[in-house]
Amino acid sequence: MYERNQISSLIKHFFTMKVHLLLFLSLHLLQTPFIAMGDRRLIETTCKATPSYNLCMSTLLTNPKSSNGDISDLGLIMVGATKAKATRAIQQIKSIYKSRPELRHALNECAQMYVAVVRADVPSAIQALDGGQPKFAEDGMADTAVEAQACERSFSDRGQKSPLTKMNKDIENVANVARAIIRMLL
Amino acid sequence: MASSSDLENPNASSALPYSYTPLPDGEQTAEPAVVLHPKKAVAFLVCAFLSVGFLVALIGNNGPLAPKNLNTNVAPSTVATTAKTTPLSRGVDKGVSEKAFRPLLGADNSFPWSSNMLDWQRTGFHFQPEKNWMNDPNGPVFYKGWYHLFYQYHPDAPVWGKIVWGHAVSKDLINWRHLPIAMETDQWYDEQGVWTGSATILPDGQLVVLYTGSTNESVQVQNLAYPADPNDPLLINWVKYPGNPVLVPPPGIDDKDFRDPTTAWKTPEGKWRITIGSKINKTGISLVYDTEDFKTFELLDGVLHAVPGTGMWECVDFYPISKQTENGLDTSVDGPGVKHIVKASMDDDRHDYYAIGTYDAYKGKWTPDNPTLDVGIGLRYDYGIYYASKTFYDQNKNRRVLWSWIKETDTEASDISKGWASLMGVPRTILLDKKTKSNIIQWPVEEITALRTDATVFKNLVLEAGALVPLNLPAASQLDIVAEFELDEATVQRLNGADVAYDCAQSGGAATRGALGPFGLSVLAHDGLVEHTPVYFYVAKGVDGNLKTFFCADQSRSSTATDVDKSIYGNIVPVLKGEKLSMRILVDHSIVESFAQEGRTCITSRVYPTKAIYNNARLFLFNNATAATVTASINVWQMKSADI
Repeated sequence: MYERNQISSLIKHFFTMKVHLLLFLSLHLLQTPFIAMGDRRLIETTCKATPSYNLCMSTLLTNPKSSNGDISDLGLIMVGATKAKATRAIQQIKSIYKSRPELRHALNECAQMYVAVVRADVPSAIQALDGGQPKFAEDGMADTAVEAQACERSFSDRGQKSPLTKMNKDIENVANVARAIIRMLL
Repeated sequence: MASSSDLENPNASSALPYSYTPLPDGEQTAEPAVVLHPKKAVAFLVCAFLSVGFLVALIGNNGPLAPKNLNTNVAPSTVATTAKTTPLSRGVDKGVSEKAFRPLLGADNSFPWSSNMLDWQRTGFHFQPEKNWMNDPNGPVFYKGWYHLFYQYHPDAPVWGKIVWGHAVSKDLINWRHLPIAMETDQWYDEQGVWTGSATILPDGQLVVLYTGSTNESVQVQNLAYPADPNDPLLINWVKYPGNPVLVPPPGIDDKDFRDPTTAWKTPEGKWRITIGSKINKTGISLVYDTEDFKTFELLDGVLHAVPGTGMWECVDFYPISKQTENGLDTSVDGPGVKHIVKASMDDDRHDYYAIGTYDAYKGKWTPDNPTLDVGIGLRYDYGIYYASKTFYDQNKNRRVLWSWIKETDTEASDISKGWASLMGVPRTILLDKKTKSNIIQWPVEEITALRTDATVFKNLVLEAGALVPLNLPAASQLDIVAEFELDEATVQRLNGADVAYDCAQSGGAATRGALGPFGLSVLAHDGLVEHTPVYFYVAKGVDGNLKTFFCADQSRSSTATDVDKSIYGNIVPVLKGEKLSMRILVDHSIVESFAQEGRTCITSRVYPTKAIYNNARLFLFNNATAATVTASINVWQMKSADI
């Protein structure tokens, strides 16, 4: 029993690894022509200084703008990724809102929080990065991480199970990576 | 007396002292009677109507935007029009507009932040615009009988964005009249923002302003502006010099590291001199320029001062301070009786640091008295929330006055619900500490005492170790508190010294007990101490027998909400032999400003309680020391609201 479990988990693991490998290779092959060694090195060193190297690398490498960007551009890409995730979160909240009326209070709060992220934190951060006042961009991303945590707690505080746990954690992580990149500009 | 475990276990409300009679209306007012005012009833009906509408709309898979749920002036007609418009996307990433913040899913009271709680956070006597975002104070000046305060203002939303200069005037630094925006982003050289600047009064009484503009290409440049009508004491209209910008980043300085020019002062040759913060790699520097007309400038060799590792210096301030007198000094004053202060706001850690030193006017250089307490690595104006401050010389009262931006430490979502973000600290006078000679003294301007009313005096209260005493007051959301404490001398003598490394932020707050502290006051406290913000002294006796005193503010239990900052702030405070320990606390809803030893060490806190508000806010006195008895004398005044 134990062994079979182990084997099946190994097989599962192998498949995930394969998918990862494929993803990695395809990313690599796709991106390599556009990314000169120097840029690649900038992206790597930048990502090494963030709390999540893999998330940072995958987000930056899938964006062609990273190929000739400076750290400020890398920060902008990360802020853009934060916005995309928060926008998806709002869509997801809207659809859950229909099917899970018992969660409406928490969902409402989460919606307010992610609206604040998309409409306030993100535009403020972009303006701050463009304009050379990175501290306000850092504030925006720091707030985004707090909003994501607060959304998660909206459920737990009511004794409800959050349907958004993974998404909230994703947003928190990407915001923290963005924040770490922005701090290099201070 | 209750045991100190109340502080450790704030939920143990049963352990509250019974000598304390709760205020007669205490609990009743906590939950306001369920009587809907006509206006609110309408709002309620509208909300109900909206909720139905939203559900219908959501089923249609297209959530419309709705007006804010508790907006009492929502009329059905507005609802109809709002339901039709869907300004969800502006199509641009940059810039924030007020319209963007309507609730997405419809009417719902956000927990834990009811509008009642958020309304309470608005202050009574701290300067702030009517709504939206504010940051740095700009160009403070006394001109033709009026105090002027300009400020970094984002008129479209309660979050930083495209900044203009807001403007207000006052006769007394306390009551304010809001005026139209003084400068907008209407030129290529300030298209991305009219950023921070300072005013200088010329010998003929004329006023000039230098400010940083962020150009259409986001280059930081310095611009000149002056009043359109110098005879208008309100200085409503401003003219930007047609030859702007007057300064661009010099070679070797990044386009985005060149901002916040100071007030100008006179050089020995009779020219004007300014300094502007910047950085080279990670060294914070202050560039120096001389000018005769504020239009053409000469960059001096070298810098006023540089400190490696401190990063970008923002909002540099430079001013003289008298070694002898209790007056402030005009910025151009120099001589043997004068020391000079350099202050810079550190972009890296968002704190305002200052140092005392000597200025060489001939070389344009400044040297700190104590290199270990240099700018950015030594003393701070304030150990809480305090940034981008700026002083001006008030020729009206011969004093130097300090303004500072106090940001919010709650979430952006809450700021959007409130509709505003940031305050100015109560302006402070600045003097050299004549006793220590190694720090400045900051004290709320004397005018603030005009708001005091309804004093309550507590004389020589003896607090045994572990004591917790509620102070019976008519209200506790707007207070001016002056308190003196004396440690029981015999205990202090008897105790063995120890090698104590105390640090307010790292030592567990007011709940962590030592032989000689903490003791102090807990403000914005709920009866059961489920919420409270202790401001306290902690005294440590070293192995050499000498006492070290720390002054701290503990936000860790300030709110049951989990989305607000709950740091513990504080630092050491110098106490000389024979001095009593004293503190002053200004409580004004969501801001608490605390001053120890007449202003040697200051802490500004932002707090967002959910229960210790309105009539449920209390003031407690506590001594959480394990050994020493403390005797306390306290004067508490209710503070009237200022006209702001």
